[in-house]
Amino acid sequence: MAGFSREVARRIFTEELKSSNYSFRDGEDQHQYAPQYLLTPTGAKCNRVFMVGILTEKDDIGGDTEYWRGRVVDPTGSILIYAGQYQPEAAQILANMEAPAYVAVVGKPNLYQTEDGNIIISLRAEAIQRVDEETRNQWIIDTARRTLERLQVLSSTSPATISDDFATADKVSAAATPAQDAQRAREHYQTDIDHYRQMVIRALTSLEGDLAEGRSKAKDAPATPTAKPESGIGESRIESEAGIEEPPAAEKVTPAAKRPRSKKIESLDAWPEQDSDEEVETFHIGKKS
Amino acid sequence: MKELVDQISARLKEQKIQVPDAEIESRLKKLIEEFRVPESEARRSVLNYFFKEHGVMPQVRASAEKAVISAIKEPGKWVDLQVKVLDLWEPATEAISQTGLVGDGTGSMKFVKWTKAGLPNLELGKSYLLKNVVTDEFQGRFSVKLNRTSQIELLETEVEAKPASLAAQPLKIVEIAEPGRWVDLTVKVTQLWEANSDAISQSGLIGDDTGTIKFVKWVKAELPNLEEGKSYRLKNLVTDEFQGRFSVKLNRTSQIEPLDVDIEVGSQSVEFTGALVDVQKGSGLIKRCPICKRSLAKGVCSDHGKVEGTYDLRIKAVIDDGRRVQDVLINRETTERLVGLTLDAAKQMAMEALDHEVVRSMIEGKLVGRYFSVTGPRVDRYILVESINEAPPVTVSQINELMSTVEV
Repeated sequence: MAGFSREVARRIFTEELKSSNYSFRDGEDQHQYAPQYLLTPTGAKCNRVFMVGILTEKDDIGGDTEYWRGRVVDPTGSILIYAGQYQPEAAQILANMEAPAYVAVVGKPNLYQTEDGNIIISLRAEAIQRVDEETRNQWIIDTARRTLERLQVLSSTSPATISDDFATADKVSAAATPAQDAQRAREHYQTDIDHYRQMVIRALTSLEGDLAEGRSKAKDAPATPTAKPESGIGESRIESEAGIEEPPAAEKVTPAAKRPRSKKIESLDAWPEQDSDEEVETFHIGKKS
Repeated sequence: MKELVDQISARLKEQKIQVPDAEIESRLKKLIEEFRVPESEARRSVLNYFFKEHGVMPQVRASAEKAVISAIKEPGKWVDLQVKVLDLWEPATEAISQTGLVGDGTGSMKFVKWTKAGLPNLELGKSYLLKNVVTDEFQGRFSVKLNRTSQIELLETEVEAKPASLAAQPLKIVEIAEPGRWVDLTVKVTQLWEANSDAISQSGLIGDDTGTIKFVKWVKAELPNLEEGKSYRLKNLVTDEFQGRFSVKLNRTSQIEPLDVDIEVGSQSVEFTGALVDVQKGSGLIKRCPICKRSLAKGVCSDHGKVEGTYDLRIKAVIDDGRRVQDVLINRETTERLVGLTLDAAKQMAMEALDHEVVRSMIEGKLVGRYFSVTGPRVDRYILVESINEAPPVTVSQINELMSTVEV
C-alpha cells in the first residue's frame, strides 16, 4: 500500500451529492483519525470534492468569530459551503467576494443529521477561488464525464443484495475498488441509474444552451455574471420540480430500502422548501448591508 | 445445526474419533447462540477442540500434496516442495527464524520459517525436501511458511533451480508501477549519493530513456560498485515503494553487467490535464541554498546549515483529474510567464507586505480552481513542468459527443 497520498477531489453534481447519506471511516482500525468518506449514489467514494458553480449568496453566520456560508449553484441544484477560522484563507476569500460570481471550491463533504432525521450534505471549503464562466463549463463537462464513468461501472454491478457475511463486509471496506464502491452504493441506495443519466443529460443540455446563446454576450460584457445566476436559480427550480416528479420513481425503490433511506427521501423533498426560505432570508440581509 | 453437527462428526470419524453428537451440538450452540460466532468459525473451533482432545494435530489431516512452485496459486494449501535455498534474508522480527528465497525448476518463492517451528536452519545453496509447509499470499505474491508441523529433509541430489533472475522481467523505468516485482533494467548511473546507513553500500539515481529512479545497493549484496556516468545492465532487482515513490534494490541475487554503450537518459514527457486544486507550501518566493540549491526552511539548509540564500520563484502544485492526483513543479521561467510576475516584482511585493506569503496567495488567486494541461518529464512523484496551458474552452461538439455516448 502507498503511504500518505493526497485524496482525489471527486466530481459530483450537487443533486447527487445532496442525495448522499452514507458516510464511513476507512482503514482497518476505524480510529478517529482514519479518513472519512462519503459514498454517493453513483459510487463515488469521496473524502474531497472539487466543484465550480455560481456563488449566489454569502453570509457571515458566525458570532464572535467569522463563519462564512455560501450557496453554490450548478445545473442540477445547489449546495451550501462553509469556511470558518480553521479555513482562514478560504474564509477570507469568501468574505471578500461579491455574489453572484463564478467560484471554484475544493472542500470536504460534511454530513449533518438534523433532529428530525434529515440528512444535510454541505462542503467545508479548503480553498475557494473566483474563476470564470469558461472554468464553470469545463467543470460541467468534466463532472458529466466522471459521473457517466461511475454509472458505467454501476450498471455492471448486480442490483441484488449480496450476502453480507463477515468476510465479505471486511473485504469491501479494506481495499475497495471502484467496482466494489459501486456495488456498495447500489446496495445502499438502490440507485436508479437512469435517473442519474438523465441528470447528466440535463446538465449537459443546459451547458449546451448556455454556449449557444451566451457565447456572444459573454464576449462583450461582464454583464453575463448577473445574467447567469438567474439561469442558475431557474435551474434549481427545475430541480425542485424534478423533486416533485420524483416520488413515483423514489417510491418504487423504497420497499427494498433500509430505514435511513426513507428518511433521505424526506430530506430530498424537504430541500427545495428549505432553500427558498433561506434565499428570502439572505436576500433581506443583502439589502440591508 | 443438525447439518453442521453431522459434518463435524463425519470429519472426526475420518480421524477415528468418536464423539456423541450431543456433545458436539452443545459446544456449537454455545459458540453460535451465546457468543454469536459465525458458523464457519464455530465449526472450525469445535473441530479443533476435539482434535486436540484426542491428540490429533488438526493440520496433519489435510495431507499435503507434492507441488512445484509455479503450481502454487492459492493461499492456505499444505504442500511438500523440493527446493534449493537461493537466498537468505535478515528476518524482520524475532518471530521469524529464517526467511529468504527457495526455488525449483519452475520458479522461486519467498519462504518464512517461524521461530516457534523449532526447525533446523536451512543453508544457502543446499537442497531440501520441505514437507507440510503452508502457502500464503500477500498482495498477489505467494510464499510458503514453515511451522511446527513442517519437516525439513536435506536432499543428496541438488534440486535444479531456475535462478531467480529468470522470474525478473526486463522493464523500462517508467513501467515500474508496483513494489515487490523482480525486474531487469538497462540504465546509466546519473547520480551517486552518500550512503546514509551502514547497511547501504551505494545509492543514487539511475536512468534510461523513459525516466530515472532511485536505487539502493545493500552492503550484504556484495556487489561491485557502480560508477557515475557509466551504463550497466542490472539484473534481478526488486522494486520497492515508499510514499508513492518507487525505487529498486540490488540484493544478493542481483547481478551487474557493465555495458560499453552509453545509455541515453531521457525523461519521457508525459501529459496531464485536470483542475489545479492546491498551491502548496513552499511555492512562490523562496530562498535556496547557494551550495546545493535546495530550498531553505527559515534560512537553514538541511545539509549546510545557516546560509545566505538566493531568491527563486517556483510553484509546487497539485493537479487533479477526478481520478488521480498529480504533483507538479513549475520553475521560475514558467512561473513568471504563467502568472505574469517576475522574480524582481515578487521580491518587491514581498518587501512591501513584509511577508513572502503574499506571492503564494497571488499565485493561488490566479491558478486554483482552473483547468490546466501540463507536459514534462516525470521525476519521482512530480511532473517537472515544461509547458502549462489553460484547457481550451468547451465546445458544443464536445458536449454532443459526450451526450451521444449515454445509453438511454
